[in-house]
Amino acid sequence: MGDGDVWRGTLALMVLKTLDTMGAQHGYGIARRIEQTSGDRLVVQYGTLYPALLKLEQEGWIRSDWGISDNNRKARFYAITRAGRKALERESREWERTTEILARFLAPERT
Amino acid sequence: MRRLRGWIRRAVAPIAGGRSDADIDAELRSHLELHTDDNIRAGMTPDEARRRAWIALGGVERSRDAYRDQRGFPMLDAIVRDIRHAARALVKSPGFTTTAIAILGLGIGANAAIFSVVNAVVLRPLPFPDASRLVRVWHTPPREQFPGVTRFSVSPANYLDWQAESTAFEHMAVYGYREANLTGRGEPDALQGAGVSSEFFEVLRAAPILGRVLGPGDEDPVRSHVVVLGEHIWRTRFGADPSFVGQAVTLNGEPYTVVGVLADRMRFPLRADVWLPLAWNAEERAVRGNHNYLVVARLKATADVRQANAELATISQRLERQYPADDKGWGAIVLPLQQDIVSDVRVGLLVLLGAVACVLLIACANLANLLLARGLGRSREIAIRAAVGASRARIVQQLLVESSLLAASGAAVGLAAAAWSIGLITKSFGATLPRASEVALDGRVLLYTCIVAIVTGLLAGVAPAWRMTRGDAGEALKQGMGRGGSHAGERRVRNVLVTAEVALALILLVGAGLLIRTLAQLRAVNPGIDPHHVVTMGVVLSRAEYDKPQRAQFSDEMLRRVRALPGVEAAATIDSLPVDDGGSMQPVAIEGDAPRPLSEQPEMAVRAITPGYLDTVRMRLRDGRDFTDADRDGRPPVVLVSASTAHRFWPGRSPVGQRLVLGLLDSQPREVVGVVSDVKVHGLQSTDTQTIYVPYAQVRQGYETLVVRSAGDPMGVVPAVVGAIRSINPGQPVVDIATMDSVIGESIAQQRFAMRLLSAFASLALLLGAIGIYGVLSYGVRQRITEIGIRMALGARALDVVRMVIVEGLKPTIVGVAIGVAGALALGQALSSLVFGVTPRDAATFVVVSMVVLGVGLVASIVPAYRATRVDPLLALRAD
Repeated sequence: MGDGDVWRGTLALMVLKTLDTMGAQHGYGIARRIEQTSGDRLVVQYGTLYPALLKLEQEGWIRSDWGISDNNRKARFYAITRAGRKALERESREWERTTEILARFLAPERT
Repeated sequence: MRRLRGWIRRAVAPIAGGRSDADIDAELRSHLELHTDDNIRAGMTPDEARRRAWIALGGVERSRDAYRDQRGFPMLDAIVRDIRHAARALVKSPGFTTTAIAILGLGIGANAAIFSVVNAVVLRPLPFPDASRLVRVWHTPPREQFPGVTRFSVSPANYLDWQAESTAFEHMAVYGYREANLTGRGEPDALQGAGVSSEFFEVLRAAPILGRVLGPGDEDPVRSHVVVLGEHIWRTRFGADPSFVGQAVTLNGEPYTVVGVLADRMRFPLRADVWLPLAWNAEERAVRGNHNYLVVARLKATADVRQANAELATISQRLERQYPADDKGWGAIVLPLQQDIVSDVRVGLLVLLGAVACVLLIACANLANLLLARGLGRSREIAIRAAVGASRARIVQQLLVESSLLAASGAAVGLAAAAWSIGLITKSFGATLPRASEVALDGRVLLYTCIVAIVTGLLAGVAPAWRMTRGDAGEALKQGMGRGGSHAGERRVRNVLVTAEVALALILLVGAGLLIRTLAQLRAVNPGIDPHHVVTMGVVLSRAEYDKPQRAQFSDEMLRRVRALPGVEAAATIDSLPVDDGGSMQPVAIEGDAPRPLSEQPEMAVRAITPGYLDTVRMRLRDGRDFTDADRDGRPPVVLVSASTAHRFWPGRSPVGQRLVLGLLDSQPREVVGVVSDVKVHGLQSTDTQTIYVPYAQVRQGYETLVVRSAGDPMGVVPAVVGAIRSINPGQPVVDIATMDSVIGESIAQQRFAMRLLSAFASLALLLGAIGIYGVLSYGVRQRITEIGIRMALGARALDVVRMVIVEGLKPTIVGVAIGVAGALALGQALSSLVFGVTPRDAATFVVVSMVVLGVGLVASIVPAYRATRVDPLLALRAD
């Protein structure tokens, strides 16, 4: 499960960022947006997406409600909360620091 | 903190609703729709668009499970869901569910009922503080005179020495049964009194519910007229009057002051109604050779039973040396009180507990078979669930939840059955069951039933769940409904289950068969008297009201009036009834033999009878003469001896005219005037019939049992007889009115009861076994319909098909019988103390029972075999 944990952690960050920039969005939309942003290099496993959404909601970082989509489909829309924004900021900083450190480690090897 | 909040939300989710299943499904559906729409926009056909969306979602089932797992605690949540699912599935097949619950209800109910008896009688501590330290102290009698007797009541002088010299006990107390005729308040009643020494209540630590108990100071002969009432007497006779303490009641014609009331819970000895001070006088304290009292004691916290036994052994050896005339060969034994009280029924109860455990195992095997058969019909459902992503563990869990749900329902039914049958069981045990009033469905019984139910659910569910999920999902899907499963392997599992059922049923049937034979043997035993048309009743003359000559007068007058009644053919009295174990055992010395001390003289039954007793019970006079009214006090003392006694002491010659001494009565030689036929004085099972009869008028003990032979229904003369007794003394109690037939019946009550219960359980086991065989064969026939069809198409006759099916059914039956016979031979020893006249390895029983089981196996095979011959070859072939 080691891989999955990392993926889950980053998935949560991507979801929060997506909702922060796009506003309320349904699960399918979030998935598509993440895939597009990644240049289709990521495929979101929906079996992991929905549990992740539920977990974020249980943490109180997002909230959800039923609404109507652009093409007139009933869907559950997710929106980021204030706590979610703070968490996003915190987690982003954390992530940047991690990648920076990792980059330093990995950089010399490339040469 | 954040994590805690998340946990709390998750924990309440399944209960508070949170996100419902429907909600999750709706969201996943909406996801699919959105994706499909997108795909269509991208130019796919609607079908293709939907298919792609499905694939992308990664298996609806798996997504939904993962989603749900996040929703709450996955395990708890899944179980709650499985229970709902299982309940729905069970309701959908009412036939299966009812059968399964009925089978389990019987199995679990039988266990709960028998366990509640074992719990109350054997396991639960006696209702006294620190009851584990309570012990009983018995004499061990000399082996030559009392072969097979391990416990004997205690003589006063020996008790007093034990008490004075031992250090292992906190307190030691002595008690004996006392007559307590209650008069002056309504119907006269012979209460059971216990005469107890001053330490008695301190040993038990029994506290009264009213007033005080007896203690030091009450034994003072001048002030000894005080009494403690049992709660039941206080309630039924005295209206539970709280101010009753301090009032006087008349016992044995004398006034006694009530000082306290003892709760029924604390009733000890078990049959006591009232407790009186023992108040031995100096003469009574000195008796060493007559053993008539019982001893209870409380061990010190620092001592154990082993130490106490060692100490008493030392004391007994000293007493033997000091008083060889009375004590030679008499030892002592200390036993935990609880063990001592239940020792008589312990074996029987444990045998029954084993029997119901067998029944439960058979029920388990049957349920497992039912679940397997049901699984056959559901292999498609399970395969689909596996195909859409449910893990094997999840499916096994769901199947186990289903069997556990069945077990729980079975337990509920079983508890209801147990609650209903407990009264019946304790009643049919009769007086042989100590602590019967304590039997109830208490917390421990409930806990036991819960554990039994859980184990049953898992036991019955594991094998089917394992088998059903092992198959390849694709394989099962390819096959038609109702034909899945790997045939050979599954049939093997089912055959093993049937074999086990047959073996267990056979063991139970052998047990029941042995007890049935025992009872038949006991019934066939000639008691030595003719019990038909005879009624008996106890007449207790209190010592206080009647001195010795008065008692003889009363007895004469009573018999004269009773004999004059219409319908009465004969009447007489005896002190202790035959067959009903108990009564006096006394040392006997033959005149002319070398004199020996009392403790070394042979002991045998001594009975006091009135003239006419032989005719009343139709005993035969073999030699000499019967007692007459002339054999009175002051006339030469005489005795009658039984034929076995005559044979023992005077083999080959007539004992008439010989003389013997009954040393416990007095030192006078008594002349043998006649020889009478042997009677089973100690019970039907006993081979010892040696008895000496003495005329009541020459010994005059306090207790007489009136024996009346009537022309018609023996109970019909009872009112007239009681009336005749009351016409002499209106305050005279008459107790224990029973026909002689029922006295004999009561003496074998324990065997009869064990036989009935074991037979019931064994029949149940056989029935369940038959259902098992039938189930396996019908299933086998259904599975092999094609094969049978081909055989018939190729020319096999109906007879061949029948033979094939029956042989298949008999295989596990025969193996089961063989295993069962071996098991019954091994376990038979457990029954040895309950059987009589047969050995636990009785060949006839084994043969008959084996035949019965094989026969039942055959009958159970016939219906499926017949059904196999009805297979239409064409249809069977086409169906595939």
